[in-house]
Amino acid sequence: MSKKKMSTKAKIQLTIFLIVYITVGLLNAKLMTAPPSEALKNIANRWIVQFGPTNAWYYRINPMTVIMSFLVIIVILAFARSVHKEFSLIPSRKQAFAESLMDFLYEIVESSVPNEKYARSIFKISMTLFIYIAVSNLIGGFIPGISADVSIAENGARTVKFVLFSDTWFPPTGDLNTNLTYAVMVFIISQYFAIKTKGVKGWLKGFLEPVAFMLPMNIVGELAKPLSHAMRLFGNVTGGGILVLVISYLVKYMFLPPFLWAYFGIFSGLIQAFVFSTLAIAYMSSQIEG
Amino acid sequence: MEQLTPEVISELAKAIAVAGKAIGAGLAMGIGAIGPGIGEGNVGAHAMDAIARQPELTNVITTRMILADAIAETTGIYSLFIAFLILFVL
Repeated sequence: MSKKKMSTKAKIQLTIFLIVYITVGLLNAKLMTAPPSEALKNIANRWIVQFGPTNAWYYRINPMTVIMSFLVIIVILAFARSVHKEFSLIPSRKQAFAESLMDFLYEIVESSVPNEKYARSIFKISMTLFIYIAVSNLIGGFIPGISADVSIAENGARTVKFVLFSDTWFPPTGDLNTNLTYAVMVFIISQYFAIKTKGVKGWLKGFLEPVAFMLPMNIVGELAKPLSHAMRLFGNVTGGGILVLVISYLVKYMFLPPFLWAYFGIFSGLIQAFVFSTLAIAYMSSQIEG
Repeated sequence: MEQLTPEVISELAKAIAVAGKAIGAGLAMGIGAIGPGIGEGNVGAHAMDAIARQPELTNVITTRMILADAIAETTGIYSLFIAFLILFVL
């Protein structure tokens, strides 16, 4: 039986990498002696800018989310542009990858929505959501980058420091505003499809089924769907982030955070993007019948 | 036994608050971790039965099983979120 041996070049690279990793780990273990409650004080604070007279919610903005959203959009558009120039009958690797991704989701849409007229619009909406959330979770996953560290003084003033080589970028889906917007958008679209198919009277009568007595439970059930839809994504991204930081601080960075992120960022991020878009398909198509 | 001056009282108050936070976060995550474990075990068991019955559908069944896993995990994520809220924000 012949085993595959590693080439000499690969062995040298692996040895150098292990030496660097262990050295950095030991240095971290010596230099970081603050207790965790001190060093992890600022995890949950966000950078908030206020541009109006009072402190109301419509005068505040979260600039980190806005900047990172534009960054994700630019990354996706750059990739799409680089594929678009070379459409050919025999596909290159990038084109084959994009086509197989769209094909995979189109089969799921087709099996859930029997009506052909709505299938294409539902496919476009859920495909956009899937790509955006997947790229956003991967950016906030395992790529070290620029991030902000916010500390709150005693009188409520926030001071913001920019860390140039921190653990991760800030994912736009790590802010509850983004996720809630998408969930409310899917909710409004599903009600609009219901009105378009069944008419306003049919839609209102749908709340009284099966018994007129069930009206409050139907309303609460309809309103709870966007809430859980958004909270699932937000909890996975932000909760996973805080969990990785706390664990890597407890083992004094012997496991560098990008290696722990490989589970939360790549695996959990892709699955959550898929679950979000599949549930969006299910919600939007549940109101279309006949 | 020292006097109960205002500084001592305020320090005691802060200590009680930290103790309350610790107990709250611990209970929130501890009890909240029971549900998803049982639920996802059930999902996995039925998926194994289905694969044993029809082995040619392994890929489809595995995809749907991961989808059902992510939905069953939701309430566990809710309790993780509440535990972090109690520890770091309040």
